[in-house]
Amino acid sequence: MTRDESKLLYAATHEWAAIEGEGGNRVATIGISGFAIEQLNDLVYMDLPEVGRSVAPGEEFGEVESVKAVSPMYSPVAGEVLEVHSELPDQLEKLNDDPFNFGWMIKVRLSSDEGIDQLMDHEAYQKQCAESQ
Amino acid sequence: MASTGRLIPLAAGDSVENMSIDQALLESTSQIQVPTLRFYRWSHPSLSLGYFQKFAARDSHAESMGIDWVRRSTGGGAIVHHHELTYSLFVPADRSLGHHRDLYAQVHGEVAASLRDFGVTAIPYRMLPRSLPASAAEPFLCFQRRTDEDLIVSGYKILGSAQRKVRDAVLQHGSLLLKSSPHAPQLPGIAELTSHLPSIQQLSEILANRLGHRFELDWQEDGLRDEELESARRIAVAKFGSTQWKCRR
Repeated sequence: MTRDESKLLYAATHEWAAIEGEGGNRVATIGISGFAIEQLNDLVYMDLPEVGRSVAPGEEFGEVESVKAVSPMYSPVAGEVLEVHSELPDQLEKLNDDPFNFGWMIKVRLSSDEGIDQLMDHEAYQKQCAESQ
Repeated sequence: MASTGRLIPLAAGDSVENMSIDQALLESTSQIQVPTLRFYRWSHPSLSLGYFQKFAARDSHAESMGIDWVRRSTGGGAIVHHHELTYSLFVPADRSLGHHRDLYAQVHGEVAASLRDFGVTAIPYRMLPRSLPASAAEPFLCFQRRTDEDLIVSGYKILGSAQRKVRDAVLQHGSLLLKSSPHAPQLPGIAELTSHLPSIQQLSEILANRLGHRFELDWQEDGLRDEELESARRIAVAKFGSTQWKCRR
């Protein structure tokens, strides 16, 4: 199923989150927005966390290197990393084409609602992006 | 009206010390939100690997195998730090100095202008005719790679920079290759390319003035604060001086 970017939640630091129920748990699938990828320009390396790691809202979960900068990626939610898209770091060129589907990075089993009320809807996020140009 | 920035004057340190101080200043800039400029040298020849480079890649460069080495927090290729001027610019995330993407062009433009005072003409790679072949993909050494804002003299790169971003600040540091090193003999420096050898001290002073003017900052000379020194010591143990960090890839 193709993810609809207008239905996702966004952090001010450009991560997106799709929160869905999975087997009685709430699971957030997380990636970074197309806007962020465009700004980073030419990604060359990416580090993602191990399965089982706990993350908190605003905590770094990975790093990405573009041609000239290393930048952190922050978890928008609290919980435990359930799954990692381990093929992604070797196929970063595909991230540019499909940041919201193929470009998912981690799935986190939510331990609480912490951080979720800080996230923006698509419209508010678009506004933030326009203002930062 | 000009704002105030901190200027940490030219000093020499070893590889772990230099990288740890840069990290400590990045963290303190993130907190105090004051732009900071630092110049430094390397107390002995050292190799820095880019953040994502593999430790094993060192084997491909025999000339630097015997020297001290460190892993940077910034990306890109390996650098042999020997006869060079290194700068670090720490910028708060409020973009008061403009967009981070433009920092390369702005800082490198002022380095080029400073070099002109010494009779050296350096041009950004982006301004060179594209018929000039780019170097092969991903060479081990940073100075054999090319990106748009790298400064070039007679076809050779003499200045490259890289950035590390955190939530509330950005570090941009870069190496200006003044003279070739026996540990990287394939890389000529400004001295070999132009027969001019700018004084590091003078160059750092001229560049600080130019950057102050460019960013409308009034530099106040400052030493490292006690808490920054303490933080640098902690970072040295946990990160840049640790074998686990150095050999993490």
